Amino acid sequence: MRGRADLASIVLTYRVKRRRLIGLAAGGTLSATALAGCGLFDTEPEPPPPPDALQPVLDEAVALAAAYDRAVLAEPGLAKRLTPLADNHRTHVAELSRVIGKTVPSGAPASSAPSGDASASVATLRKAEQAAQKTAAAACRVAPATRAGLTGSIAAARAAHAEALR
Amino acid sequence: MSAQLAAALAAEEAAIYAYGVLGVKLTGDGDRTEARAAEAVHRGRRDVLVSRLSALKASTAPMPAGYALPFEVTDRASALKLAIHIEDGVAQAWRAVLPVTTGADRTTGLNALIDAAVRATRWRRLGEVTPATMAWPGRA
Repeated sequence: MRGRADLASIVLTYRVKRRRLIGLAAGGTLSATALAGCGLFDTEPEPPPPPDALQPVLDEAVALAAAYDRAVLAEPGLAKRLTPLADNHRTHVAELSRVIGKTVPSGAPASSAPSGDASASVATLRKAEQAAQKTAAAACRVAPATRAGLTGSIAAARAAHAEALR
Repeated sequence: MSAQLAAALAAEEAAIYAYGVLGVKLTGDGDRTEARAAEAVHRGRRDVLVSRLSALKASTAPMPAGYALPFEVTDRASALKLAIHIEDGVAQAWRAVLPVTTGADRTTGLNALIDAAVRATRWRRLGEVTPATMAWPGRA
């Protein structure tokens, strides 16, 4: 999740970094194995367009909904407490997908079987909500007017989820 | 922006009034401590708004001497219900500030929206009101 937040900057600096790598290679300071997979001798493809600024917020909403579903599958007694929170995230996924102009991600989280210790504890879910709140708040602070309320409400919902899990 | 900030000020003033009314109906130290903390936060926000609006040279309506409560506050349950109602209202007022602001004003509004949403959930939790959360805090 964390990595996605930096995706835009990675895409933007991709060319610069390649130049630096090439420079390093010419100086003989970089081993051949380190260069493998860099596509050094390929024709340079156009970098993909930067992802929508809301993409990390959407990715987290998808991941959080799935994490709640896994937790409930592993411990059905938590359903009453966790299902409303998962539903909120699914509502966010639908709205964010609409705003970004994407179809709703198809990965049906509920169908994935609980995989041992992969199911998150309530404390882990709370930490994930707090991290996700920061992403949404950061998005809100720089969002255009049309997205300020949307991202603000998502940040507030995630903060309230963390409170509900106390 | 001034109109939305003035509306947020009205919501904060109403919250201060409401906590004065509902605070005396709460039972237990946990409830009362929470209500006092909430009231202090709303007073702080009121003060920030008054000085911001003054800097913008915007006129504001004077705080009403009293408010018609949406329902009677007679016991702990109705006191908690009013606290929830108030925080939901404050969240709505601050959410409306977000699209018309940028920078520090946007951040002030966002922090206030988040705080109100968290407090509303805390009151729901204390009052065992379910669900304790909503998908879109501040969206009327």
